[in-house]
Amino acid sequence: MTDVTAHRPGPRAFGTLLVCELKMVARDTAGLIVPIGLPMLILVMNASAAGGQSVGNGRTALDVYVLPLVFTMVAATTGVVNMPSFLAYYRRSGILRRLGVTPASPLMVLVAQAAVGVAQIAVGIAAAWVLALLAFGANPPVRAGAAVGVLALMVAAMYATGLIVAALSPTPNSAVAIGLTLFFLLGATGGMFGGRDSLPGPVAAVGEWLPFGAGVEALSAAWAGAPVQGAHLIGLAGCVVVGTAVASAFFRWD
Amino acid sequence: MLTIGTGAGRRPPPNVRDMSSTPAVEAERLHKRYGPKVAVEDVSLSIDAGEIFGILGRNGAGKTTTVELIAGLRRPDRGAVRVLGLDARRDRARLRQVLGVQLQDATLHAALTVSELVRLYATFYRDPVPAGELIESVGLTASARNRFESLSGGQQQRLSIALALVGRPRVVILDELTTGLDPEARRQMWSTVERMRDSGVTILLVSHAMEEVERLCDRVALLDAGRVVALGSPAGLVERAGFAQRITFHAATPVPEGLLEGLPGVERVRADGGRVVVEGHGELLQAVSVALVRAGVVATETRSERAGLEDAFVALTGHRLGAEEEDPR
Repeated sequence: MTDVTAHRPGPRAFGTLLVCELKMVARDTAGLIVPIGLPMLILVMNASAAGGQSVGNGRTALDVYVLPLVFTMVAATTGVVNMPSFLAYYRRSGILRRLGVTPASPLMVLVAQAAVGVAQIAVGIAAAWVLALLAFGANPPVRAGAAVGVLALMVAAMYATGLIVAALSPTPNSAVAIGLTLFFLLGATGGMFGGRDSLPGPVAAVGEWLPFGAGVEALSAAWAGAPVQGAHLIGLAGCVVVGTAVASAFFRWD
Repeated sequence: MLTIGTGAGRRPPPNVRDMSSTPAVEAERLHKRYGPKVAVEDVSLSIDAGEIFGILGRNGAGKTTTVELIAGLRRPDRGAVRVLGLDARRDRARLRQVLGVQLQDATLHAALTVSELVRLYATFYRDPVPAGELIESVGLTASARNRFESLSGGQQQRLSIALALVGRPRVVILDELTTGLDPEARRQMWSTVERMRDSGVTILLVSHAMEEVERLCDRVALLDAGRVVALGSPAGLVERAGFAQRITFHAATPVPEGLLEGLPGVERVRADGGRVVVEGHGELLQAVSVALVRAGVVATETRSERAGLEDAFVALTGHRLGAEEEDPR
């Protein structure tokens, strides 16, 4: 029976899957509120005070410190907390196993999930940016190109971290727990609860290499017009490499 | 009314088995173990095109593992599977186009609607059944806009079957099709399967429900502790149980020794206190009743049963189907 030929689902299948994944995320209200609402709250709480403090180059503390932190939080909540919990749920419920017996590759689901996450991050960042611009008179980064580049690398690093969580957590509940713990750990060492200056020296040094701290620092530098430090870029890129390697070694579809 | 299935040109006529052609499914000496626990041991099956083939066994007997090996979801430790001549692992990409699978316990995207799910799965196949037609064929038109999570168990099951059929498969695997369904939903599901077969699809049905297998399957493999302990038509297996009928009654006074044993057709008599069980064939009930009346024994709660697969299962494996084996996974 050689009349059977392979048929790989094409762009139309991927497009449909993408729309379906978007609907899944849009219909999960709690998953939408945290990554978009929490950073906005941080922004509103810090914006008025920081908006008045000039730090040079025509930029304020809001531009150079608060916005990079808020943008990094949007990427971290989506990449480290939401994405792994979705994947863990897909694996646990058998959705990935079910897709595994269709001509669709489960990898397609992973890519669609990542794309949806990026869209989510874009919406979160855009919302925070528009709010900062209109309500608090924020200024654009001095080196806009560098800021966009750093942002893209940081999002990739957060996703890679999320993939490690998805690959190593045994159950969906543990994926959420591990994701949240990791988010707060990265955030704490990266300056989410106040500047890294107040942290113990070694913790601050390590935090600077981790994706949260490195992301905030690099973004802050681009905003202020200062050169982005190589250490921060290496920290972010290293995270992408390690995350991808760990995920491809340990991730299971069922 | 059900028009899903293979394209008319390729479809074999229903219920016609051409023994000379390649079997639809051929599993050869499959072995699979999880750690120290052997899940499947030396399982060989050959399923002809157009038949409904049942795999029957208790929970943990290795049914689901066997199905996963046949569907190419797992790699056997030893042995090989060919479906429509395609290797279940090496030719997976081609096999996926012609094999439809309904997996036990696999749920779907909970927040998507029936219609969205059918349209999504349809995009995976070259020549899918139109969504509206498919949804109607499983009776879900009225629920097409409902989310998967809001469907009843029966509706979810029907959607699951619809998705197994959306690519016009030539072989369909149905794992625990009617588990958890009410009797009415079960009967509907059985009709759906029969219509599927009539359209020429080969069906592998995994079940631990005797009634279902007896009604639907052309042939059955009894699986016990990872091995095939018997294989044949349901009627053939029942015959192997060694008797055709069983009469059970309560005797108010003792039954005289040897009264029933000598009757025509009686093969075995067991008495336990007042409860008497007579197994045999022919006009058993009449023979026993007449003998009891003549001997002045008053019998109450008389029941007469035809032997079924359940009896065959007990006879062949030594335990009842309802009991659970330790789950190997």
